[in-house]
Amino acid sequence: MKLLQLLQLPLTLLPLLTIPSTFAGTHTSNWAVLVSTSRFWFNYRHLANVLSLYRTVKRLGIPDSQIILMLPDDMACNPRNAFPGTVYNNADRALDLYGDNIEVDYRGYEVTVENFIRLLTDRLGEDVPRGKRLGSDAGSNVLVYMTGHGGNEFLKFQDAEEIGGWDLADAFEQMWEKRRYNEMLFMIDTCQANTLFQHFYSPNIIATGSSEIDQSSYSHHADNDVGVAVIDRWTYYILDFLENEVTSPTSQLTMGDLFDSYDETKIHSHPGVRWDLFPGNEARGRERLVMDFFGNVQGVEIGNETEWKEDLRRLKEIIDRARLKDGAGDAPNNTADNLVPATDRWVEEKTRRERPVEGPAQVKAGDAWDQKLLGIAALVGSASLWGGFAWYESNR
Amino acid sequence: MLPFLFTLSLCCLFNALIQADGHYRERLDLTPLTPPSLLASFQFWGNSSLKSYEQQHFRYIPRSLGQSLQHSRTEELHLRFSSGRWDDEGWGAKPHQGRKEGGTGVEIWAWVKAESEADSSLYLLHGMLPREVVCTENLTPFLKLLPCKGNAGIASLLDGHKLFDASWQSMAIDVKSVCSKDEDLCSIEMEQTVDMVLDIERSKRPRHDPIPRPAHKESLLCDETKPYGTDDACFPSEERRGQSWTLAEIFGQPMQGSCLAEDQSGRVHESLYLHVPPERETIKPEHAVESKSESTSVRTYTPNATEPFDMVLSHLGPQTFNSHELPALFASRSITGHGQERGGIQTLLTNPSLTTTIEFVYFENLPWFMKPYLHTLRSRLSASSTSDPELIKDTIYRPALDRVRGTQLELAISVPANSTMILTYDFDKAILRYTEYPPDANRGFDVGPAVIKILPTTSGSRDQQPQQQPSYIRTTSLLLPLPTPDFSMPYNVIILTSTVMALAFGSIFNLLVRRFVGADEVEGWDFSYARVRIGGWVLTLRDKYLGIGFGIGIEKEKKEQ
Repeated sequence: MKLLQLLQLPLTLLPLLTIPSTFAGTHTSNWAVLVSTSRFWFNYRHLANVLSLYRTVKRLGIPDSQIILMLPDDMACNPRNAFPGTVYNNADRALDLYGDNIEVDYRGYEVTVENFIRLLTDRLGEDVPRGKRLGSDAGSNVLVYMTGHGGNEFLKFQDAEEIGGWDLADAFEQMWEKRRYNEMLFMIDTCQANTLFQHFYSPNIIATGSSEIDQSSYSHHADNDVGVAVIDRWTYYILDFLENEVTSPTSQLTMGDLFDSYDETKIHSHPGVRWDLFPGNEARGRERLVMDFFGNVQGVEIGNETEWKEDLRRLKEIIDRARLKDGAGDAPNNTADNLVPATDRWVEEKTRRERPVEGPAQVKAGDAWDQKLLGIAALVGSASLWGGFAWYESNR
Repeated sequence: MLPFLFTLSLCCLFNALIQADGHYRERLDLTPLTPPSLLASFQFWGNSSLKSYEQQHFRYIPRSLGQSLQHSRTEELHLRFSSGRWDDEGWGAKPHQGRKEGGTGVEIWAWVKAESEADSSLYLLHGMLPREVVCTENLTPFLKLLPCKGNAGIASLLDGHKLFDASWQSMAIDVKSVCSKDEDLCSIEMEQTVDMVLDIERSKRPRHDPIPRPAHKESLLCDETKPYGTDDACFPSEERRGQSWTLAEIFGQPMQGSCLAEDQSGRVHESLYLHVPPERETIKPEHAVESKSESTSVRTYTPNATEPFDMVLSHLGPQTFNSHELPALFASRSITGHGQERGGIQTLLTNPSLTTTIEFVYFENLPWFMKPYLHTLRSRLSASSTSDPELIKDTIYRPALDRVRGTQLELAISVPANSTMILTYDFDKAILRYTEYPPDANRGFDVGPAVIKILPTTSGSRDQQPQQQPSYIRTTSLLLPLPTPDFSMPYNVIILTSTVMALAFGSIFNLLVRRFVGADEVEGWDFSYARVRIGGWVLTLRDKYLGIGFGIGIEKEKKEQ
């Protein structure tokens, strides 16, 4: 009995551990994953999109070591580029995005679906250098920006393969399970972009896209000397906001302000925002600062939770969320600060086990005799049936 | 007292360590080539004693590079980033005898110590990425390795916008250990080199508007010796094109002082070497020191450590250039043949010397998807039509293993004076697996260049200064079209096959599970029942459309029954 009580101790402690709330909005570092997925010169604008974001997050303070930049083709030193070593995102050519100081982490053929998912989930070999790894942890806010050619629930990589909506959703779930982000802002600029985040199911994600299902995302304008379009509309107006409004790292503008700046008459498509995964949904999500994702903090984590306790808590959350997702509607409503007392949970666990639930079943070592009897009965029954019919047939 | 002494001795030791910890030097050579071009050759040397390097005391050997070399047990490293094409005929021999040059793209070779402690031998690893783009993101880390990070000294002239607009450029990093006779005096040396050939007219264009536009009439340089050169007609003159320039015009900005130019003895080293004949006029800022001698065609400059330095090569005075040295060998390699299966390689090797036979080693590392046939290797002189196997002195060959390693082919060749040798062989093109094709497979596959090591002339004419060190030449890289499938075809096949299978399965399954009998053979088939049912439907429909109530319809049906 004493042993049993001892075993229950961690469960009794659990509610105590979960008091530090995840709503506090404290994060200790910022990471950005900026991905263009298009090859070839006529997709210049996709690289310009991504380089514009790169420049913005660098301007607002994220260092190069915390930015993963994926460029599938070379535009700056492309022989077709009349401006060598330069990429522009505007026909006024006021700003050289490539500049003198740029670190591209994945380029050319390295930009593949496999590498992207490996990067997110950190399934990389030991010999992969630190610059090619996403070193985020449970305290990191991660900005993921993707652009390219896509469609209903897919985004093309290099005109050769695709990433699906479910692939992304599962990759983010793995990131959450491996404690690789605290909060995430997912941005995507492609045709039918909003379909790519509809399957997300991991917590603490704000997702936004440029266009609804069956809608195209359009380019903004072309530069006659570059010869191709230089930026997409949605990215252009996001940058417009970031450049004009978010002028310093002390900016107090919120995500709500950013998303309110969407003007569908200018963007020519219906951008979408998904709040439901974020704790506190839209109301709390709108209060988040733009700088929480685009800027950088260098916080130091001073907590009284030791690592295994944190692990235990996170593991529990993941299991509960999985139950909720599988449609066990009566599972306790387990947001972190709303826990059922441990003893009640114990009882509930016991009652749940008696009901038929889909999933792994427990294998019991039962009494041997009744099973043997049942087997013999079944055999005898089959034999007699067969014999009976045979006799009946022969008599006809 | 004792701790004090100890600290003092520690300090002395530390000082000694720093004293012994090498030096740093940099140098820029500017050589005007055939008028419109300029060869700029940047060199940065740093060294450190092997002892402090092993103790991870990094000063001029950057920590980022040093630590990765130590981790991978690399004894010697050579890394090259190149793009563009060197014009042999116009510009002559390559700088540094081709020793600082790599193939197009990225080339690396390194001497690496064996993994186990028992095996102390070194292994040479060599690799090429002919497709790799060289751009600003390669220059950024390159500059970060320098002690002044590209902010001061000659490195401040290195700008990606100019470097990657060059007709030819090559960036090199060499790290090696050098030991003197005395074993204790080993040091580790690092040398960074950037060579580029800039088109002067092109470099002078403003960065915000590099697209050439028609010049105004006033700024046109006309050749007035032409008889038709009147007021409204101008024949453009080539004479003064690209003959005068300033550093700021060519490189985008003046040089920002100097970087660690002063050595331990306090002597300030010159950092800029200009190779023009002595009669050419130059203008330098007052705070810089120029030294030139009448006999040589080199003049040197020592810029002030803090002042920006700009220099003008004037268009006044005689427009003369140093004569360039002819390369020892001209090499060009190309792919022959046609079709999806077979191809061939043809290399032309020309010895321009009128007197000496040239000896060299021709080295090729072919990717595994090129499968050469060694028995088809033919060598002949262009003058004769029959093959002459005597030209190839030695052959070293290592066949390829699919997807593991490429073919290695080394030939020791000797070409007589003033003749061209033609080297040919055939190869098969492999068919790749579906997933091995890159996204732009129809562009073709890049094959790295052949490396030619020209051996020092030992025999031959004694009057010429024998070259002590071998020089290197690389051919251009090749683009090989491989048989490329229609990538949508598998989907067509899958769809078509599935359809056929579904049809076949459906009909066979139908035949297997059903038994076909005549209608009259069926026992208990009541036709009257079917008739009643059909009649019922007809009545219902009629009632519906004629507006008769449902209940009446049922009554009628009952009556009829």
